[in-house]
Amino acid sequence: MHKHSLVHCFVPPHILKNIATKGTESQKNLAIDTLKISAQMRGQRQALADFTAATFRVAMGGKDRVIYDAKFGSNLPGTVVRKEGDGSSADVAVNEAYDGSGVTYDLFNDIYQRNSIDGNGMRLDSTVHYRQGYDNAFWDGEQMVYGDGDEDLPANERLFNRFTAALDVIGHELTHGVTQFEAKLIYAQQPGALNESMSDVFGSLVKQYKLRQTASEADWIIGQGLLTANVNGVGIRSMKAPGTAYDDPVLGKDPQPAHMKDYVTTIADNGGVHINSGIPNHAFYVTALELGGYAWEKAGQIWYVTLKDKLDANSKFQECAEMTYRTAGELFGAGSIEQQAVQKGWSAVGLTVGAGGPGPDPQPGGCLEALLRLIGAAPAAKR
Amino acid sequence: MQVERIKFERTGGFAGMRIATDLKLDDLSDENASQITELLDDLDFGELPAQMTDKSGHDQFTYVITVETKKWEHTVVTGESAAPEKMRELLQLLNRLARTQKKQ
Repeated sequence: MHKHSLVHCFVPPHILKNIATKGTESQKNLAIDTLKISAQMRGQRQALADFTAATFRVAMGGKDRVIYDAKFGSNLPGTVVRKEGDGSSADVAVNEAYDGSGVTYDLFNDIYQRNSIDGNGMRLDSTVHYRQGYDNAFWDGEQMVYGDGDEDLPANERLFNRFTAALDVIGHELTHGVTQFEAKLIYAQQPGALNESMSDVFGSLVKQYKLRQTASEADWIIGQGLLTANVNGVGIRSMKAPGTAYDDPVLGKDPQPAHMKDYVTTIADNGGVHINSGIPNHAFYVTALELGGYAWEKAGQIWYVTLKDKLDANSKFQECAEMTYRTAGELFGAGSIEQQAVQKGWSAVGLTVGAGGPGPDPQPGGCLEALLRLIGAAPAAKR
Repeated sequence: MQVERIKFERTGGFAGMRIATDLKLDDLSDENASQITELLDDLDFGELPAQMTDKSGHDQFTYVITVETKKWEHTVVTGESAAPEKMRELLQLLNRLARTQKKQ
């Protein structure tokens, strides 16, 4: 295949999709890039999203990362600077994005038997050096994008470091992708706060997995290292003590609540998705600490199965609480210490589950059947 | 246009932090005031749609800008990816001024 033909000769999309799923590795990558560019040129973000799932399920071999450099501009994805298997770059942000997406892949693959974001080997695209003075990172529905913080300001005015510096930020953004393919939680109000919380939970677990930290050893800070020494704060959010991550004359005070009685009603931030996520974040923290050991093993498994099989686009906190409780019963047995830990976790934030009984509708078969479902040997049961 | 006042708010983003300011142009330096006026003129701000929110991204910023002139007041709510490219410079300037104002 001639390299320029895909880009310049307007090969019909259905042919490109065939190449993307059946071609050689280099043909697949070129076809995917061409589909993305042409969809963006036509302004068809939705059309692109619609065929994303089918088109990106191409790297069945496993981990497949591509890092792009936006060179401080806004065109996505930018120029390829490192691909799977390439050696280290001289650019630290490139290496952080590469390594961070790798650890995130490993956690989902090794612990939850999930092959990439879509569960089917989707290529992990990341762009670094996005815009100038861009103090943010985001998931745009197709890829991760990272800014360099306040690199354009004098050192004594900088508040944010580059966003690839925190491994949990990378895990957070990739988890938005997982949620997009699973529960599809809408990005507003309580479902949006759950969406954010899932990203914080697995972002934190990615960091803990990398550092091999137990629940009691972990700092449970989201974005540790993102704030410069000019800011009075330890990070962006605290799952252990929501509302205490920073208190600064310029940035203000961490607004996260840790309990339903302090739930923040607002129209800003899509209904406070980054604010009220403190509540389910803290429920996870309490559950994990109650169980002890590595949080990704039991608490993480319960939350992952809940995200994958139990929640839907409009799920709210109470439903999430009930579904994690039910999932704990299915995985570990009704009345198990795991299910009790989940109950304590939600109780700590003002939500009651399983009152007066062993749990809502525990499924027969318990642990064994759930394990069979996890490895695909039994049909998945959505609720 | 004869801008008298501009209000700016940025919410969302990964950090979920709110940055806001309320500026009377008479109180700003001549340089900042004329730059804001030029950028608003260039955008034809009074004709922009009130809502330009793009919901496609996660952790992206949302901006609310209100401009008051002697004749009219207009508020625009825009998502980050929905904001016109020409608005970037204005957003960056207002973001910087919001931080500076808060420090004082």
